[in-house]
Amino acid sequence: MLQVLFQGLHRNTAILDQLLTDTTGPAETPVIELRNIHKSYGDLEVIKGVDLTAHKGDVIALIGSSGSGKSTLLRCVNLLETAQQGDIVISGEPVSWSHETANRSPKDADQVRRFRTNLSMVFQQFNLWSHLSVLQNVTEAPVTVLGRDRADAEAFGRALLEKVGIADKADMYPSQLSGGQQQRAAIARALAMEPSAMLFDEPTSALDPETEAEVVTVIRELAAEGRTMLLVTHDMKMAREVANHVIFLHQGVIEEQGTPDQVFKQTKSTRLQQFLSSTQ
Amino acid sequence: MFEICAEPRSLEGLTWLSCYLTTPKHAAMYYSILTVLGLLLAVVPPILFLGFAGALARRSKIAPVRWLGVGYTSIVRGVPDIVFFLFFPIALDQAVEYIRHKIKCADVLEPVYQGNDFVVCQAAKMPLGIADQFYHEAWGFSLAVITFAIVFGAFTANTLHGALNAVPKGQLETARAFGMSERQTFWRVHMPQMWVYALPGLSNLWMILIKATPLLFLLGVKDIVYWAKELGGMKTQVYTYAHPDWRIWYFGALLVFYLFLTWVSQRAFDRIFARASRGLSVAS
Repeated sequence: MLQVLFQGLHRNTAILDQLLTDTTGPAETPVIELRNIHKSYGDLEVIKGVDLTAHKGDVIALIGSSGSGKSTLLRCVNLLETAQQGDIVISGEPVSWSHETANRSPKDADQVRRFRTNLSMVFQQFNLWSHLSVLQNVTEAPVTVLGRDRADAEAFGRALLEKVGIADKADMYPSQLSGGQQQRAAIARALAMEPSAMLFDEPTSALDPETEAEVVTVIRELAAEGRTMLLVTHDMKMAREVANHVIFLHQGVIEEQGTPDQVFKQTKSTRLQQFLSSTQ
Repeated sequence: MFEICAEPRSLEGLTWLSCYLTTPKHAAMYYSILTVLGLLLAVVPPILFLGFAGALARRSKIAPVRWLGVGYTSIVRGVPDIVFFLFFPIALDQAVEYIRHKIKCADVLEPVYQGNDFVVCQAAKMPLGIADQFYHEAWGFSLAVITFAIVFGAFTANTLHGALNAVPKGQLETARAFGMSERQTFWRVHMPQMWVYALPGLSNLWMILIKATPLLFLLGVKDIVYWAKELGGMKTQVYTYAHPDWRIWYFGALLVFYLFLTWVSQRAFDRIFARASRGLSVAS
């Protein structure tokens, strides 16, 4: 509890510092801005008008029961899924669409790639490339997509593996690692892109309780560093500890949102109350 | 070859063999081993090319290209190989000569098809009647390569198509999520991961290909099976040497030859498979 308090304090002072040093000019451009997002598969509408704004340093947790659309929303952000309606604005630049109808698609392939490199994703099933070693997984996209020098990428990659605590696994294949180690490697891979925001899609759901703790520790450290993150999770404890803003999605709409304290302690909606009591 | 062979009556026991197995006709049989190995090496690149073309065509987003891929693999796979081996070389040969006839002998008014005969002018012959024997054999060999490539390319296309589909979708989606283009995703992730699913099927095809090489005789290429039959027999077109029916020994040698070839191939495939499955959990 004390630790949680400390971390909260730590982050608050970090935000304060930022506010103090950043007093010039207009308000900062959000890293991710979603306006009125709609997404459906055929006749089934899974997201029904969601707004979301993530400023630099925000850690936003998306919670909700299975099928509430939280993973789909996350996948709409980096355009793995196409939202049929609504605006997606990344660092002030809106996604340009082929046309404004229900079967629209992103128009500019270069823009899609640029956005994706800038919003690196961590998957529930890790999805490390199985034919590459752990280090190669981390250096692959920086070298082939961002055009970084291989030696630099490897040095940076090793430093990141050190950071997530699996430096000794650099030359092993993903299948030789435990789930928790694989997910930490996947986080290192995402960090290697030096993204302006990270997207976590249920990063701890495929893990057993012991290895889960390793991954939560890493995510908590990243949050403390002031990284911008969108975190879809079933882990309420992690959401409470890590996030500064929590969004509860229910049947494709935001049912309730606010600070962790507001959402978890001063819960207003009965649906959220039911959801929280069912997850405890 | 050896001096003592000049006088057959002086030969006794196994020395006789040293003369017999070194005759020019036998040299032709040994040479035909090279023909078989040469064919095997020559057909692999076009087979892989047609295989990839067929597999990628079947995955194409453009419907007519997809139909072409499906049509090619289904038709070739559905027709007996031997029919193809009888049909294709003749069809190909006649098609080439017909086109050459139309271009080079436009002044000849007689039809090409005269009843049962296919008649083209001398200039349209492929290769030319006056050409060296070597060119005749090379032309026959090329027809064989093309026919083998078309038949085995279809099976390869099917194997590769299945292997490309077997790569987990998450692996490819992750590549896209990290900003890789479709091309990079294909070359950096899809292709390297596909082999482990393709190799069992490809090794099967390779074995079948080795065993199908005797079909060369259908195409008029004299391969080792042809020579084994001719030289092992008592009295044949090419040899009237008086010896008993030795075909069992000649075919026994063929057995050893083909078994050796397939054994070496299997060992090579095992190595390639181990290399391709590094890190993939299917290997463990």
